[in-house]
Amino acid sequence: MRRSDRVRLDEAVALRPERFGALGYSYRDRQLFFIDGRLLPFIDSDGARPLGDIADELVAGGALEESAVPRLLTVLEGLRRRGVVHVVV
Amino acid sequence: MSSYDLLRQGLRAPICLTWEMTYACNLLCVHCLSSSGRRAPDELTTAEAKALLDEWAAMRVFYINVGGGEPMIRPDFFELMEHAIARRIGVKFSTNGTLVDRDAARWIASTDYLDVQISVDGASPDVNDAIRGVGSFSRARRAMELLAGEGFPFKVNHVVTRRSFDQLDALHGLVTGRGGRLRVTRLRPSGRGVAVWDALKLTQEQNRRLYTWLRAHPDVMTGDSFFHLSALGSPLDGLNMCGAGRIVCCVDPRGDVYACPFVLADEFRVGNVRDSSFASIWSDSPLFERLRGWEVGGQCRTCGAYGRCHGGCMAVKHFTGTPLDDPDPECVFAPESGPTATIIPLALSPRPIRP
Repeated sequence: MRRSDRVRLDEAVALRPERFGALGYSYRDRQLFFIDGRLLPFIDSDGARPLGDIADELVAGGALEESAVPRLLTVLEGLRRRGVVHVVV
Repeated sequence: MSSYDLLRQGLRAPICLTWEMTYACNLLCVHCLSSSGRRAPDELTTAEAKALLDEWAAMRVFYINVGGGEPMIRPDFFELMEHAIARRIGVKFSTNGTLVDRDAARWIASTDYLDVQISVDGASPDVNDAIRGVGSFSRARRAMELLAGEGFPFKVNHVVTRRSFDQLDALHGLVTGRGGRLRVTRLRPSGRGVAVWDALKLTQEQNRRLYTWLRAHPDVMTGDSFFHLSALGSPLDGLNMCGAGRIVCCVDPRGDVYACPFVLADEFRVGNVRDSSFASIWSDSPLFERLRGWEVGGQCRTCGAYGRCHGGCMAVKHFTGTPLDDPDPECVFAPESGPTATIIPLALSPRPIRP
């Protein structure tokens, strides 16, 4: 997924905060999944801001290592392929 | 960190929350895990049940497994299910199918977030009805056909026993041929199941063949109930762990909360929703706290398959008088215990369907 992309959660997916981040459930395919807490600011943005801007802000604030950003974008791409998040166009 | 380790830390709400709505049932299955038949006079009222659903919605419980007894016997069944769904709690309800008529089938098919599983314990009346009661097979098949007629992808839950084992392929065909999906679950010696455990539990050879069959049928769900068989090789789908108090719990018709629907016993009761909030019971129960940290010890810890089966099912151990740190009584590496004949007389007889 690119830094310029904006993402939002699929409407058939619910998230619940947990110690490790969040537990997700898709009402469409009845699947559960784990969400790493570092992904939540990206998903919670609801398509309002590009992923790169969110990442830069988290890195500047010390909440995220710059080196972790490519991996998180890859995980978000995996969630997009599963229909958990969508790219806002 | 593995999902096993993450879940052992405890969750803010259960994943697999079973609500036994009523102990009333028009069948008297010989293996009923909750010994259902008669309605408890003090079961939760409609208002209490709605308040409980509201609390689960606030906790963001994703879905509930509704059972009994026969949940459709409750006069407020549809009202309560609609209350749950309106709050975005998905419903998976188990029924014997006898009360699924055309109107109910239409309601089921037109409702979002709703899954239905019909209990069938054999692919023919002689096998099924010996366990569930005379006439129950044809009524369950009628429910399947009504749901199939509505284009609804129903599920069939099958508690596999030594009598039905050879019918797995036939049952799979019967269900999938009507657009349904088969779920096969493990017999436990819970409730009336204690009395028929020796007569109906799978033989060790059947357990081994079942593992192979499940691996060959990935479309068949198991509700994670055969994780003790994962010791035979590659793990079966699921978390392959005892979820009691970690991700699983059960609320009975009176509001009593238990660690698991298969251990409706005083030792595993942690509170009642009439006395405390469900959320506080879930998060603060000393028993749940212990279960979250507990791991089967003893000889299992030196077994090479421990990482795949984690010592097996707590409920099966409890009701067979097996210490919880011992291997599962159906451990695949244990010698055969009990009789091995395919047909052993049942200690109980099911009764015909009551209207």
